[in-house]
Amino acid sequence: MQIYLPIAELSVNLFFLVGIGGAVGFLSGLFGVGGGFLLTPLLIFSGVPTSVAVASVTGQVVAASTSGALSHYRRGGIDLHLAMYLVLSSVLGAFGGVAAFSMLRASGQLDLVIALGFLVLLGFIGVLMLQESVRAIIRQRKGGVVRRQANQHSWIHGLPWRVRFKKSRLYISVLPVLLIGLFIGFVGSLLGIGGGFIMVPALVYLLRVPGNVVIGTSLAQVVAMMAATTIMHAVQSQSVDILLAFCLMVGGTAGAQFGAAAGQHLRGEQLRGLLALLILAVAIRFGLSLVMTPGDVYSMAVASAVR
Amino acid sequence: MIRLAALMVLLLATILPAQAERLISNVSNTTVQITSSFTGETLTFYGTIAPDAGAGPEQVQGPYDVVVVVVGPAQDRVARQMTHQFGIWLNTHQVEFRRFPSYFHVLSSRRLLEIADINLLNQSFILPESHAMMFPNPAGFMKTLVFGRELIRLMSEQDLFGVQEQGVQFMSDTFYSAQLTLPANAPPGSYIAQTYVFRNGEIIARRSEGFSVRKIDFERFLAQTATQSPLLYGIACVALALFTGWLGGVLFRR
Repeated sequence: MQIYLPIAELSVNLFFLVGIGGAVGFLSGLFGVGGGFLLTPLLIFSGVPTSVAVASVTGQVVAASTSGALSHYRRGGIDLHLAMYLVLSSVLGAFGGVAAFSMLRASGQLDLVIALGFLVLLGFIGVLMLQESVRAIIRQRKGGVVRRQANQHSWIHGLPWRVRFKKSRLYISVLPVLLIGLFIGFVGSLLGIGGGFIMVPALVYLLRVPGNVVIGTSLAQVVAMMAATTIMHAVQSQSVDILLAFCLMVGGTAGAQFGAAAGQHLRGEQLRGLLALLILAVAIRFGLSLVMTPGDVYSMAVASAVR
Repeated sequence: MIRLAALMVLLLATILPAQAERLISNVSNTTVQITSSFTGETLTFYGTIAPDAGAGPEQVQGPYDVVVVVVGPAQDRVARQMTHQFGIWLNTHQVEFRRFPSYFHVLSSRRLLEIADINLLNQSFILPESHAMMFPNPAGFMKTLVFGRELIRLMSEQDLFGVQEQGVQFMSDTFYSAQLTLPANAPPGSYIAQTYVFRNGEIIARRSEGFSVRKIDFERFLAQTATQSPLLYGIACVALALFTGWLGGVLFRR
């Protein structure tokens, strides 16, 4: 069944949209990531214009993360205090990201920067996470006790303006928190992703946020940041396709519920290991697209519609 | 004074060749409506070559060739070329084409180059390439030519450009019809269908019809809201997303 998308101005199979929304939603609920880093490339590949795909996926990520965030909230898995700091700084970063997005699109280098950004970011984080989770799993198999590492101090804990985050049982400086938010806001809106896959490891490894509030807090932050980004994209590029976003949302919210349920049966290290593999696969895919001879060295874009 | 008028008439007569034929043409739809289930639409262009006022039916002598040129709304487009630099592929060259047709299809009764001379086809903008070369481009002639051809190829792959040299059928010596299927990605806007009648490589009659492709009902409302009140539209998107997410959570809660 075909459905016409009024902003993308093309007709797409409805079941395909709901289907990929559901599949990505499942992963989003499982790992606590927005899923944008999978959904955006999938849509571009199926013929949706890049700008519409990026802007509409931000809307879908809001929906997919909302159901996840709510179920984590009910279980008390969100540190609202910490999330507030992250949201404020990431919205600020998103302003910069949306501006850079339109500048790069005009100069024709958007695809390159997106591919490079995905490669560097996903490759780095994927390797880091995989290393850590494999080590944790091995340690557990050997029968050792996995200790919570919150008491270990690094240079981050020596910074000024310390704030107590009760739920996370942390007493740390707000500077790294704000920096993480700013960075994720910028990169997330530029690459069309929620940034959950950066946020989760950043909270775990840099801030030592305990595992039971990491995913919930990350989801809450993604909801607020992507809501702001959706509005920014709607105002600046007018390329948010509400019908496209809605089809993805329907699949995404359903998938996210099953994902969150499935996540209960897996251990944290296993989850992180699987996510790391997924992230690395996408990174390799983008790396290959940069290095391999493209099928077509020519491409086209609409500079502006003459009305 | 009478002499001058006679001279004028004589001049006009030499400039405008005496035309014995005129074209009566029409298109099946004047509007193509884009609804939520729009997957493209087939249009029929038809017409007949009739004797002009004052000419008898014996003056309508074929064989004729008919060419129908369908042009969609203009857009500024860029074509980009990737080259291998520092081990990776990146866009290094680009040419912008101003007021380039977003849709362009040519239907003809036989091969275009057999119907008329390439120069005449180019002057009348019947060949796709002529649109790329329509305006002087700061990129230079050769680059414009190369990139223009690539742009046309890319648009042909999306069915936005095309030449169908068997696209016009003659039902009789003077009655023709042509079918064109607009794809689902046909850009909305005003379209012009220009029909040319050729005989012996000359254009002897022409006519144009307009039709429009436009969104209606809900699709139109959405597209209008998105451009006219983008802030409201953005907030509505977020509200919808939050509601859907919440509803999904309630429905699936176990």
